[in-house]
Amino acid sequence: MRIPVVVKVGAFAVLVMAAYSGFANSIPQIESKPPQELSLEGGNVTPAQLVKAGEEIFKTKGTCEICHRIGQKGTRAPDLAGIGARAAKTKPGMSAKAYILESLLQPGAYIVEGYPNIMPAVDKPPIALNRSEVWAIAAFLESLGGTVDVTLNDIPASVGAGGAAAAAEIKIPGDPKAGEAVFQGKGTCIACHKAGKIGASPVGPDLSQIARIQTPDYIMKKILDPKGAGAVANYPPGVMPQDFGTRLTSKEYVDLVAFLLTLK
Amino acid sequence: MPRRSCDFGNKLVFREGFPIVTYVQRAVWLLVACGVALIVLAALPVDAQTAAQATKDPAYRAFPVFGSRLAVWAVAQLHLNFAAFILGVPIFAVIIEAMGWRTGEARYDWLSHELVKLTFAAFSTTALLGALLLFLFVAYYPKFWAYMTSIFFPTYWVYALLFFAETFTVYLWYYGWNWLSGPRKWIHVGLGVLSNLFGTAILVVANSWVTFMMSPAGIDDSGALKGGVWDAMYNFTWMPINIHRLIANIVFGGTICAAYAAFRFLGARTAEERARYDWMGYIGNFIALAAFIVLPFAGYYLGREIYAFNQTMGITMMGGFMSWLWIIQAILIGVLFLGSNYYLWLGMERIPGSERYRKYVPPMLIILTVGFMIWATPRSMVVTLDEARAMGGTHHPLLGFFGVMSAKNTVVNLMILTTFLSFVLYRRANKIARKPWAKTGMVIQWAAFGAAAGVVVFYGVYGYFVESIVRIGFSVYQVLAVLAAIVLVMAIDIPMFKGARTTGQIRWGTIAPHSQYVLILLAVTFTWLMGLMGFARSGIRQHWHVYGVMRDTSVDAATPALGYAANVITLVTLAFFMLVLFIFWLGGLGERGAEAHGHAAPVIAGGRDAER
Repeated sequence: MRIPVVVKVGAFAVLVMAAYSGFANSIPQIESKPPQELSLEGGNVTPAQLVKAGEEIFKTKGTCEICHRIGQKGTRAPDLAGIGARAAKTKPGMSAKAYILESLLQPGAYIVEGYPNIMPAVDKPPIALNRSEVWAIAAFLESLGGTVDVTLNDIPASVGAGGAAAAAEIKIPGDPKAGEAVFQGKGTCIACHKAGKIGASPVGPDLSQIARIQTPDYIMKKILDPKGAGAVANYPPGVMPQDFGTRLTSKEYVDLVAFLLTLK
Repeated sequence: MPRRSCDFGNKLVFREGFPIVTYVQRAVWLLVACGVALIVLAALPVDAQTAAQATKDPAYRAFPVFGSRLAVWAVAQLHLNFAAFILGVPIFAVIIEAMGWRTGEARYDWLSHELVKLTFAAFSTTALLGALLLFLFVAYYPKFWAYMTSIFFPTYWVYALLFFAETFTVYLWYYGWNWLSGPRKWIHVGLGVLSNLFGTAILVVANSWVTFMMSPAGIDDSGALKGGVWDAMYNFTWMPINIHRLIANIVFGGTICAAYAAFRFLGARTAEERARYDWMGYIGNFIALAAFIVLPFAGYYLGREIYAFNQTMGITMMGGFMSWLWIIQAILIGVLFLGSNYYLWLGMERIPGSERYRKYVPPMLIILTVGFMIWATPRSMVVTLDEARAMGGTHHPLLGFFGVMSAKNTVVNLMILTTFLSFVLYRRANKIARKPWAKTGMVIQWAAFGAAAGVVVFYGVYGYFVESIVRIGFSVYQVLAVLAAIVLVMAIDIPMFKGARTTGQIRWGTIAPHSQYVLILLAVTFTWLMGLMGFARSGIRQHWHVYGVMRDTSVDAATPALGYAANVITLVTLAFFMLVLFIFWLGGLGERGAEAHGHAAPVIAGGRDAER
């Protein structure tokens, strides 16, 4: 039987593409997941927890490992082994903590000899670490041969959560006044959270400065899907109710978000 | 009872008594059914994401069953495939038409018309897919699209006007083939040039949107335009992508036309027809190869600009989660190099006098194979813990040496030089130069090849001893050396073989049939490669719609692994070829029984000889 040309050509083409697909499926499969936001504010975090959180950010959201190694000389960026001790001696008159923070937030201020000026500021997009995350990563770097003494207050208040762009792109049309009422009333948020002068419960994190330390996206997601947004350090997971999405009306939800965004 | 036939091509003969109208009706009904299914699917109540449900203005909606990302991905890739075809083919079609006009050779005019016919058939599909893509963005990514509109709104008008202008020009070009012949041929060629200018302008405008998403410019911290729209258009990757896509479109158009010719060759029933499509396949492959040789240089330029825009993005692209993608790319490009050269070597078999160049084939094959292997060598090996300990890390002591950019840049430049040498030998296969300075000319040509190879190897080796920032600059010297050699060799070759003595006519149509599968392999591989590179370009933004400006907060924010991406690319490529087959078949229906627009297929030398 004579096989039609279209069948022969079609089978050949499918075979070629299947081979390419097969090879692509046989090599390491790495998915690039979007980073999770870390919030440490309002919680009692120990130095050890802080360092652990910082190490995780170093390897994931911070993307530091693309260029930096610990205990291995890199071609793009310096070896960070012992940076906690070395940092105190790098710039005369500058403490290890100050040097590390300057390196993270203004990387171009001091360039280690032999390396190009390629490091991006970690609090700016695309890395866009928030204040908690910068705090944690600074603690981790200090722990590499030095003493962890960085506190949240050492991180400038201007260090944004996702940058101005992220904050500016969402304009919530809600009424903050009505949102405050939801916070205290139907939403029952006040049962667990403090928000400025309102509330005093220590069950959940203090939200008095939540708009300064978190993105609108995060706040909106946290209300609707508390589990999916991740737990705040030192607070037990699963306490926040999962049913705000059905319990609140759209208007109440938007008003509540508008209120929370006033907490700076 | 007369047998009915249709032209995809003239030789597809249908069963007696089975009217072709039935096929057309079936096809139309199939199209209608697909359209209705699509509308119903899109109109189904969508499961909006949880976060989106709470607001009246959702950032995202979920496309049923497949999800929004996959829907946009598939339609965008299909749209780009068709767009690349209809923008790439007219570029060389008009050049071929001009050649026919100036030389008076009818075969060039026929070929140009044949090429434009293929483009013409795919034109409306491209527009339909573009409209579908727009609907998907507006419906499923409304917030993203609103942001893009806030930046690029003025360009939408320009795009629409250019689209109208291109459509009318192409229609006039195609339908005016006879009307604007003879003394008015210059007007017709002018129309071809004009349609290409409009087409390229469309490409440039659309590229500004895509490149802004990669390397945004002209905006303030809040993401709003600072100045005019031009500042956003003129971003870091705009010009490199313009150049890269323009060249890639020509390669793509060439490979698809060659594959079309191969398909017709394999189904041909007469030697004359085989000769015609053998010649068309050769021209298609020649065009693809000529543009393909310079494509890596455009790629370097794009890569350099990505690094210049954002080091993190560049490093993520080459050394981060995408590093294995370049191994796949190397394999695909290796296949393209080997395939193109193999086709040329097979083609030389039908050229009397080419025997004297056979001795060059084994060394060229060795260079290409070794180059292919080195280029496809990964830097880090996937190993078990024990193996890693035994090797002293994930870098193999020997293979790791070949896995770095110094080695890869060196071999790719040598592969380009080798492919160029193949072409030069093919070009002169049946010619003997009669110019008195021919010997000197050839010595200079070989010296140019040798010098270029020397420069490439020197900087390749030197690259191991310098910092990466210095090494990146070496690739420019390597590229310039290869380009200079190509220009110099051709500058000597063209006058040297003018009026050359011929050793015999090319026996078109006598090429080995398996050579035609090489042409199909090249078309499939390049289409697949385009899909892969599209994934790379889009994927390096990771969880950003607009890099560093607008986050992707949808459920599809994660960038998938290569296996998943490859499966999608394969399915979309398959869909593309099925659509192409269908469209070409539909386009051929209008020609059955008669030569369209009075364009009689020319007799190509060799075809009739083969029958004797």
